[in-house]
Amino acid sequence: MANERGDLLQGTLDMLVLKALQLEPMHGWGITERIEQWSESVLQLGQGTLYPALYRLERQGLIRSDWKVTQNNRRARYYALTRGGRKQLEDELAQWRRMSRAVNLVLEATIE
Amino acid sequence: MRAITRGWEWIRSIARGRSLEAGLDEEIRFHLDQQTEKNRRAGMSPEEARRHALLRFGGREHVRETTRDEIRPALLEDSVRDVRHGLRVLRRAPGFTAAALLTLALGIGATSAIFSVVRTVVLQPLPYREPDRLVSVWETNRGGTTRNVIAPANFVAWRERTRTLEHLGMVGPATLAMIVNGQPDQIAGLTFSFDLFHAVGVQPVLGRAYTIEEDLGGNDAVIVLSHEFWQRRLGGRGDVLGMTLSTDGRPRMVIGVMPPGFTVVGDKADFLIPYGQTVEQLRAVRGRGSSYAIGRLREGVSVEQAFSEMRSIYADLEREEPQRNARRTVMLFPLHEQMVGDLRPAVLALAGAVVLVLLVACVNVANLLLARSAAREREVGLRTALGAGRARLVRQMLTESLVLASAGGIGGLAIAALCHRGLLALVGDRIPIPRLEQVALDLPVVAFTVVVALATGIIFGIVPAFVSTSHASDALREGGRHGGGRRLHRVLRTLVVAEVALSLVLLAGAGLLMRSFLKLQSVDPGFRADGVLTAGVQLPATRYGLPQAGSFFRESLSRIAALPGVQHAAGASCLPVPFACIGTSFWRVDHAKPADGQLSSAQVRPITPEFFGTMRIPQVAGRDFSDSDTVDSPPVAIVSEELVRQQFADGSPLGRRLRINVDHANGKTDVEWTIVGVVGNTRSNLDGPVRQTIYIPRTQRPAPSITFFVRTPQDPTLLAPSVTGILHSMEPEAPVEVRTLDDVVVDTIARPRAISVLVGVFALVALAVAAVGVYGVMAYSARERTQEIGVRMALGASASSVFRLVIGQALRLVVIGVAVGLVAAGALTRLLARLLYQVEPLDPWTFAVTALVLLVVATIASYLPARRGMHMAPVDALRTN
Repeated sequence: MANERGDLLQGTLDMLVLKALQLEPMHGWGITERIEQWSESVLQLGQGTLYPALYRLERQGLIRSDWKVTQNNRRARYYALTRGGRKQLEDELAQWRRMSRAVNLVLEATIE
Repeated sequence: MRAITRGWEWIRSIARGRSLEAGLDEEIRFHLDQQTEKNRRAGMSPEEARRHALLRFGGREHVRETTRDEIRPALLEDSVRDVRHGLRVLRRAPGFTAAALLTLALGIGATSAIFSVVRTVVLQPLPYREPDRLVSVWETNRGGTTRNVIAPANFVAWRERTRTLEHLGMVGPATLAMIVNGQPDQIAGLTFSFDLFHAVGVQPVLGRAYTIEEDLGGNDAVIVLSHEFWQRRLGGRGDVLGMTLSTDGRPRMVIGVMPPGFTVVGDKADFLIPYGQTVEQLRAVRGRGSSYAIGRLREGVSVEQAFSEMRSIYADLEREEPQRNARRTVMLFPLHEQMVGDLRPAVLALAGAVVLVLLVACVNVANLLLARSAAREREVGLRTALGAGRARLVRQMLTESLVLASAGGIGGLAIAALCHRGLLALVGDRIPIPRLEQVALDLPVVAFTVVVALATGIIFGIVPAFVSTSHASDALREGGRHGGGRRLHRVLRTLVVAEVALSLVLLAGAGLLMRSFLKLQSVDPGFRADGVLTAGVQLPATRYGLPQAGSFFRESLSRIAALPGVQHAAGASCLPVPFACIGTSFWRVDHAKPADGQLSSAQVRPITPEFFGTMRIPQVAGRDFSDSDTVDSPPVAIVSEELVRQQFADGSPLGRRLRINVDHANGKTDVEWTIVGVVGNTRSNLDGPVRQTIYIPRTQRPAPSITFFVRTPQDPTLLAPSVTGILHSMEPEAPVEVRTLDDVVVDTIARPRAISVLVGVFALVALAVAAVGVYGVMAYSARERTQEIGVRMALGASASSVFRLVIGQALRLVVIGVAVGLVAAGALTRLLARLLYQVEPLDPWTFAVTALVLLVVATIASYLPARRGMHMAPVDALRTN
């Protein structure tokens, strides 16, 4: 069986999920939709990886979940950032910015 | 702070573990519905929308599995599910389950039972203050390895001179005739120097220990009782302190009661009494008594230092008192070693045996699991295809093994409890194993059992779990045929070989022990033990002087001899086994007295007339003692053939005279004993050499106690009531101990008997287990080859050739196993050498029989599967799949 989540991807995926939840609590499908929208359909989450990630994050105490009723009157599990999750997101964003800036600097360096 | 938050979240998630799991399905459904809805809005037909949603989502089972792996509480939940699944699977295969459970229960039970004994008897430290600093001191012949009792005179010198030991005291066996609740009884206890209370650091729980004045001062009318004696025999009465007990006819006051369970190096003692002799009296004691010494190493002194100091003190004593100490020296070792030393080879043999049984059991269950896992290949394949990871499958199978092992462990505990009772019954109080009565199935033993059960579960589960999941994904591809795979077969074959080899090692060991025991049992002691009743009597020394005792014994013997059914009756100062009675030196009067240390030694046995007739010891020459051999007549002796062989190569011993280092009844030591007869040899130890023996008349060497021997053509126990009756009617206060001579002899070899029986039982268990294993594997392999057999038979192979094919395969494995086992046994049985009597550790006879037994049993075990193969109709065989 192929492993669908490489280690690099896993870290990134967790960050994306946390980011998606930054504004408001959402259910799993909502998270995929939001990431797809924000990434202009470039990032289409393999669904098989989303739920394990959600459970993992919940276990790590970065998000918590509650069952709520949607506008269409259906029960759905909504995930929300915990305080630890917010802190984690800030850390990872800062880390990501540093990294991507560094990578950009390298890639766009002018060769003389 | 963060850690706390996280911890809280984690706990919350555990608490909600179940609902998370249940929620996952609902969540996935919700997700799919939303996606379907979106697809539909994008213009797809409802069916198409659904299909796309499913497609996009991916394998649902896979999502479930991987998600589950993310939930820590699920581990627990999965385990519960696995346990349930395991139980279900086991219930579905009752035959397999029963075989595996029985195997495990036997293995684990035996291990726990033996562990409980080893722990109590060998491993536990002695219950004394700083037991590591206690040593025991014995004398020995120079260069000798046997422990000999010490001379009290030497003890006094050690006590004065040693600088390395403190609280040095003597301890030795003592028997007192007491009247307890109106019943005369012989109570076994110890003479115990007052110093030893300080040495071992144990004081009475009630009352006090005796003082130096009561011991070395000689005011010794005191006694300290064991807690058990106080409770059992005196009903735990509160006024025990200060009460007076009549001991050997003289009163002693109870001044203390020891704590419960107190023993001296494992020897039970119902009482402790002082030696009651002054230093001068001890110095004047001739001979060696029956005591050894215990002392405490002074702060910072090592055993070696104490040993070398004691050796040099003894060297001085040898110079000062050559007659007593020539060519002798001292032995000193840790006290614990004294208790355990003797037992160690036996205990190690038993421990080795149970470990082998347990290993065979593990291998066997692994085998059964493997053979069965082949049948479960499709289940495994299916689960793999549905997205179960290998780790998950291994975990599940290990859980099953653990379920099996736990059940086996519970059964094992039950068996251990039974064994434990059987063990005590088998050993009884015939074998003096220290602290045996303290052996219990207590918490540490239960904990040990749990650990063993879990360990076995993992050991026998791990190989099958990995082997059977390694090719899981191929299982379906092979179209449902049992594709077992070469690897599985290789492992199965290896396990069969291992099982056969392990049980052969055990069987060979048991065979050697059994053969050794049979040899021991068939040793001719030189007398006929059957049909003889023995009755030991001890007269209260205060009321009977030696002359009164003499007439008492003469009178009682003639009354016993007159009982109906009595052919012969005689008396002797000691039982013929297992002690030498009086071991002392002697020399021929017509030869010059040899130098000290060069003297021959013999066992000297005072007896009454008719002793040889009663015991059926052949009279070779001369005459028996008679009533005319009295204290006033010339001293006479009858010697054994062995003595004649060693001392009288120059002609008949009759009429020659011996000097013997014993006191004559007339108080003189320098009397000359004239040899009037020669009799056959006897042994005081079945496993010992024939020693030179001198018999002398009891009238010329009397004692306050006697053992009567009564020969009868009937069952000797029938005479017991009338013999006891006669003795009690003559002296109600004299304790009488009645046993058949057969029992007396058998008891001397009780320990080798117990060990060979135990190891034999373990070996049979291992053999049975191995037979089940071989049968299981062969049955599986025959079933596996059903199709092949069908094809062969369809192509004209005869039934007998098919039979040969199957059984040939089995025998090849067994032969390899036997070969491996023989090599291993050859290496391991050397460890038994100390337990064997006249049997070599590599006894070819035993090895041959063992190998044969295994071959036969294994052949029978594989016969049934082979026969089934033979009788199969080719059509059926081909149709199986």
